[in-house]
Amino acid sequence: MKEQLMGVLEEIRPDVDFENEKQLITDGVLDSFDIVSLVTALNDEFDIEIEVGNLVPDNFNSIEGMMALIEKLQDED
Amino acid sequence: MENVMEINVLRLLEKTAQKYGDKTAYSDTDNSITFAEIEDKAKRMGSALAEKVTPRSPVAVMTGRNVLTPVVFLGAVYAGCFYAPMDATQPLARLKDILSVLNPSVIVADDEGMKTASQLGFEGELINTADLFEHEIDQPKLDEIARNSCADDPLYVIFTSGSTGKPKGVITSMQSLMCYISAYREVMDINDTDVLGNQSPLDYIAAIRDIYLPIFTGASMFIIPKQCFVIPSELFKVMNERKITSVGWSVSVFTIAVKLKAFEGEVPKYLKKVCFSGSVMPCSTLRVWQEYLPETKFVNQYGPTECTASCTYYEVNDKVSDEDVLPIGRAYRNYRVFLLDDDNNPVKTGEQGEICVSGPILALGYYNNKELTDKSFIQNPLNHAFNELIYKSGDYGVFREDGVLEFRGRKDRQIKHLGHRVELSEIESAALRLDTIKDACAMYLKEKELIYLFYTGTATVKEAAVHFRGILPGFMVPRKLVALDEMPHLSNGKINMQALKELMK
Repeated sequence: MKEQLMGVLEEIRPDVDFENEKQLITDGVLDSFDIVSLVTALNDEFDIEIEVGNLVPDNFNSIEGMMALIEKLQDED
Repeated sequence: MENVMEINVLRLLEKTAQKYGDKTAYSDTDNSITFAEIEDKAKRMGSALAEKVTPRSPVAVMTGRNVLTPVVFLGAVYAGCFYAPMDATQPLARLKDILSVLNPSVIVADDEGMKTASQLGFEGELINTADLFEHEIDQPKLDEIARNSCADDPLYVIFTSGSTGKPKGVITSMQSLMCYISAYREVMDINDTDVLGNQSPLDYIAAIRDIYLPIFTGASMFIIPKQCFVIPSELFKVMNERKITSVGWSVSVFTIAVKLKAFEGEVPKYLKKVCFSGSVMPCSTLRVWQEYLPETKFVNQYGPTECTASCTYYEVNDKVSDEDVLPIGRAYRNYRVFLLDDDNNPVKTGEQGEICVSGPILALGYYNNKELTDKSFIQNPLNHAFNELIYKSGDYGVFREDGVLEFRGRKDRQIKHLGHRVELSEIESAALRLDTIKDACAMYLKEKELIYLFYTGTATVKEAAVHFRGILPGFMVPRKLVALDEMPHLSNGKINMQALKELMK
């Protein structure tokens, strides 16, 4: 899953070092345009439905946070 | 004050400060400032600046998203100058481009802005705002500046995307601002009970409403944290905490809120007056907002920076359906809006023409760019009797039988992307600044709101992306970078955009 997620992220922001960046939202690395692209891409790629309650910095600050979110939402199905 | 139109924004500030002195004018998450404090601080800053700069010259401002930034703007105006906001989070290369056009003798910056400003190789004086706010008020000096000021003195320069690859600075007079804010206030019915929720970056044209409406009306304005628009789970919650009643936002924010299902959390229950602008509002988005906020007034605003942020407005009185297309409506007070065909002849009702604007709301032109100014602001071809400049917007429109204007798209390659104006050719110029890119063509996929860049050369996608991040503001960076072996061309040598369009699907 990590590879698949990295693929999505690289597609959206090839200039960001997602392996090492742990404050993507808090430090303003990702902006609102990125989040919209990202949410749409993650929903498609992983067949999940990210909801407003999930849109908190913790879930998007790092790839670990995103993986945890995806796993959680996949389990709910 | 209610019935007489004041033509100087500083006199208006002083009157409002007299009436609402201790009331909060601006607030952000950490701080707030009253009308009386604004007047005091802006006068201090104006007195200090007046010792360093001559009236009617630019003051570059690099300050953050907080309550003091509008005060710094007003301080520059007290000194008889005009301000040019520069977002310090932009790439250094772009800030340098802006400075090369503006050529100011001073940059005023807060602590954070100083860090960036000191890296620009700026040869003029770099001044910390904190020092300016400490200065004593020199009332005789301010009185003298006020006595010599004219209604058409420039108020600000705001930079926007330029098709030649360099940003262009739209310079606007105080009288234009006074006309626009008065007209907007009338349409939106803003008064001293309102709390405005600011979304627009303070260096961007749309922020003029949030900055000046409190001065006109005694309303308060809250600067909503940027993060609320990135991760909207908090947006409506914050709006309810602050009891926000009125917003003027970019269409993209409304769309993002719907896409990210923000209404499934809280509903902004105090919100009664909503204006949206910047690009075409999809009715599928507006319908959702109307459903959750049935009592709220929604107004569609249209217009370019060159006409002081606007031209026309349309109040949406009915519930919309997904397939509806909103008209852009009627001219604001003090705006003259009409259509011309390609040969500068008037067009009949129901026929398409280029949207043209004249009136006291017309910008003074593009700063330090006479050639482009003369090309864009021309004598009204229908008027042979007296001087009357018009601005040809490059947008097409059609007047309906009932006098309401509809928007019909763009004449050139300028796009509206997430509320910002972007010249696709500026992105191409930026691409060619990288040695390893040989040829480039930028395209826009409207349905998905994606900027594409097709290019040839040896640059990898990652190299190209890093390059763009280093020279363009975030909203202009292409989201899709596609390396091609060969750029498709037509027989006349031009790039075959139709072929590229196929590649975006």
